Amino acid sequence: MSDGKDGSSSSHSQLSIRCFHELLDSIIADVASECHRVARLGLDRGLDEEEEELRLSEEARASAADPSSSGEVGCKYVVDIFGQTHPAVADEIFECMNCGRPIMAGRFAPHLEKCMGKGRKARQRTTRSSAITRSRNSRGSPVSVYAPYSNSTNSARVPNGTTGGAGEEFSDCAFEAP
Amino acid sequence: MRASINRPPTPDADEEPEREPALVEVINVKMVESGEKEKLKELLRERLIECGWRDEMKALCRAYARKKGRNNVTIDELVQVITPKGRASIPDSVKTELLQRIQSFLTSIVL
Repeated sequence: MSDGKDGSSSSHSQLSIRCFHELLDSIIADVASECHRVARLGLDRGLDEEEEELRLSEEARASAADPSSSGEVGCKYVVDIFGQTHPAVADEIFECMNCGRPIMAGRFAPHLEKCMGKGRKARQRTTRSSAITRSRNSRGSPVSVYAPYSNSTNSARVPNGTTGGAGEEFSDCAFEAP
Repeated sequence: MRASINRPPTPDADEEPEREPALVEVINVKMVESGEKEKLKELLRERLIECGWRDEMKALCRAYARKKGRNNVTIDELVQVITPKGRASIPDSVKTELLQRIQSFLTSIVL
């Protein structure tokens, strides 16, 4: 290697080998990094491993639920990224602005459905214009304007639950159908 | 003074071995600049995937991680696990092809 030209080929090959090893090391590092990630994230580890991990995670969740006293009961609540747990149904109570009753937040939506639709029926009453729009959009099909009609009997094609009031609106729709 | 204990021997003492690492650096820089290094790396990666070398290495890693517990492995450990077997199990054809390409690159930039 002390020679200039004579050693050039061997030093060339030495250099090549060194370069090759460097490339190889970098690829080895890539593979190791990816396998490390797979191992840590628990991906692709075979089914028996996953069952074991499921068991372990169950135990972990149980043991995490015990010391953590966020007021939650049991270990069915999941923990969010801030470490807080939330009950399955939101339990803050406030007043409905429609009827003024104290309502649980998690039950507010179904309550509003009934509450705002109430007068007489469990469902929203349709106005004439919305019914006409509906029949216009669906030509040929019966005008089923929110057939809740819990107490009404449906006639063959036109469910115009005239029983129970607000009859004028529905009878107008009845004209639209046939 | 020159004889600081932390300093490597001055270049006057060993000239030839000093030059070689520097040459490697130059080669490295040229390879990176011209984009050849990336091409070679991609070529090597492709060949190793084709011949199943990569899958072998991944299997080794998986076995090691399973043995050690998957949360206890570090990347360094995996590298150490793979490297001896990895270097040894490179197919000759792949090695030859890469070496040829590197050498042709070297001659192209030296001349």
